[in-house]
Amino acid sequence: MAQDILSPEARQAIEKLGHADVVIGIPSYNNGRTIGHVVRAAQAGLNKYFPELRGVIINSDGGSKDDTRKQVLEAQIDPAQLLLLDTPLNPVHRLSFPYHGIPGKGSAFRMIFQMARDLGARACAVVDSDLRSITPEWIDLLLRPVVHRGYDFVAPYYHRHKYDGTITNSIVYPLTRALYGQRIRQPIGGDFGMSLPVIETYLKRTDWETDVARYGIDIWMTTIAVARGFRVCQSFLGAKLHDAKDPGADLSAMLQQVVGSVFSLMIEFKDVWMRIHGSREVELFGFRYDVGLDPIPVNLDRMIRAFLRGEADLREIWSLALSDATLRQIAEIARRARTAPAVEFRIPDELWVSIIYDFASAYAELPAARSHLVRSLTPLYLGRVASFVNETREMNAAEVEDRIEQLCLAFERLKPFLVERWGGPRVDEYRPAPAARPGQPQEVSS
Amino acid sequence: MIETFRQVLEQTVARLSAQATAWLPPLFVAIVVFGVAWAVAVILRWLLLHAFKGERFDAFLRKTGIGTMLDHSGRLRASPLLAHAIYYAILLIGLLNAISVFDTDITREIVDGVVHLLPKLFAAGAIVLAGIWLAQYLGRGALLWASNEGFPWARRFCAFVRVVVVFVAIVVAADVLNFARTVFFSAFLIFSIGAVFAACLVLALNHREVYRWFTASRSRQQESEDERSLWHHL
Repeated sequence: MAQDILSPEARQAIEKLGHADVVIGIPSYNNGRTIGHVVRAAQAGLNKYFPELRGVIINSDGGSKDDTRKQVLEAQIDPAQLLLLDTPLNPVHRLSFPYHGIPGKGSAFRMIFQMARDLGARACAVVDSDLRSITPEWIDLLLRPVVHRGYDFVAPYYHRHKYDGTITNSIVYPLTRALYGQRIRQPIGGDFGMSLPVIETYLKRTDWETDVARYGIDIWMTTIAVARGFRVCQSFLGAKLHDAKDPGADLSAMLQQVVGSVFSLMIEFKDVWMRIHGSREVELFGFRYDVGLDPIPVNLDRMIRAFLRGEADLREIWSLALSDATLRQIAEIARRARTAPAVEFRIPDELWVSIIYDFASAYAELPAARSHLVRSLTPLYLGRVASFVNETREMNAAEVEDRIEQLCLAFERLKPFLVERWGGPRVDEYRPAPAARPGQPQEVSS
Repeated sequence: MIETFRQVLEQTVARLSAQATAWLPPLFVAIVVFGVAWAVAVILRWLLLHAFKGERFDAFLRKTGIGTMLDHSGRLRASPLLAHAIYYAILLIGLLNAISVFDTDITREIVDGVVHLLPKLFAAGAIVLAGIWLAQYLGRGALLWASNEGFPWARRFCAFVRVVVVFVAIVVAADVLNFARTVFFSAFLIFSIGAVFAACLVLALNHREVYRWFTASRSRQQESEDERSLWHHL
């Protein structure tokens, strides 16, 4: 039985509303500047695309010091400007409550999911509160596959600048794809649609008060949906333009939360991913078009400096995870980087894949050193990003996507070594099942 | 003269004979007792090395990092560890039994002393071991923090944290053993004060480098605002 985390006010609001067909969840913390636009887009989306359904917008706030909650409750749209073909049968309700527990996006989602379940919603979409590029169509694209096509989980698909989403491109997407065999391009995109059974699965879990409470939530949601065999699809949402989050946040901690969640889920779903080989496309809805993107400034020297500093200082911790041969290769790259120009800095794909697989294995083998291991990955990650920046400097978006595809294939090619290290068959005896088709249930023994 | 010499010789022989009669049988028994203990220890060690797998204990040693702490190669296994521990424990018991055969004030004191000291010795050993483990854990945490923050002497800082934690463990262990309490405590105080002085000295001598690090960390914060999308658009 899932734990009830709702405040008396939230419970009262649910009792007053009684029922909702669809719920839009918006987590927030000091987003007074942008959340009004997000709420208006969500409301317009519900009015325009789901006029026959009873919709509720729920803002789960982390104790904002600005007027975030006021903006949510006061955001207005002019129905005449929407040129609606159908008059909405039900007004869209807006609720805003502070959540309790560990401060973070995951805790905010937990409250939204519990309210959606208690309202009996068929579908729920969550969108970030700092989005500048959200349109009413996003609501349609995130909810329609669930409401009308029987999908359980809708992941976003955006156009992003080549230097944007580097944790996604260098670790989370290739690793998730190689492990679970489904090509979900933005597994930690932040904007998702999901069905009631998926929400109930999330709420039944007991790991809410881990990294999941913070930035680990996105990959946690995606991985559970895929590993539990729910029907998964993607929706093309265009460009993702949003405000940067707290600039004072500990960068290493953010990487730790995301990668720590991926590695923790690898332990839980070991029996699922060890049987999967290769990967398959995941159905993509929406009309694809090219968009202009905000340029991302990159300081190459600073990233290489961080890598070199890590190589000099953190060998002791890296040696817990990496083999002597891998450490020697890293040392050689560092030695060359100290004398060669920054633009020549490279970390080859195979080495990067070995590093990630070795860290994942050590994370499972050494519970006492988990936090140190994941935090020590930061300089290696920055080195890899510097290498990626150098390799893709002159490339256009399509070429960059090809480059990421090569990395993904390296992850898939080297997966048998990971399986062997995790107690599976030896590399030469590895005969796994092909990746399941999207939506095809997979047996989970955990 | 000859008579006197003869008497001295006879008394010496008699005394030696008496001593031999008094001490040789217990010595023989002591050797036998110790020999039996040694034989039992060897047999038990062999049996443990060949029969005891201790996979769970191996996993515990590996997961907690105690294995690599005691043996850097990481090849430390439960069965040789346990086998050697039992081997030396039996040897010690055999030695104490062998000594107690003589039944003198000195041997009684030795045996009593060792028997009373053993629990404290174990406690002190456990404290030192826990201290080393904690030093390793905290040292790595300090190393990561210092390295990720761009602190110029990350490894030295880590080593300092480790030395402090191990030193504290040794002071506590000495207190448990009631062994040179004042000496260790004084040494700890001197060490702590010395460390503070050393840190001040290092800061004073390297004030330019420290200032550069401080200003660099501030400008890094500024830079990170420019580059925030690299991190925050996950």
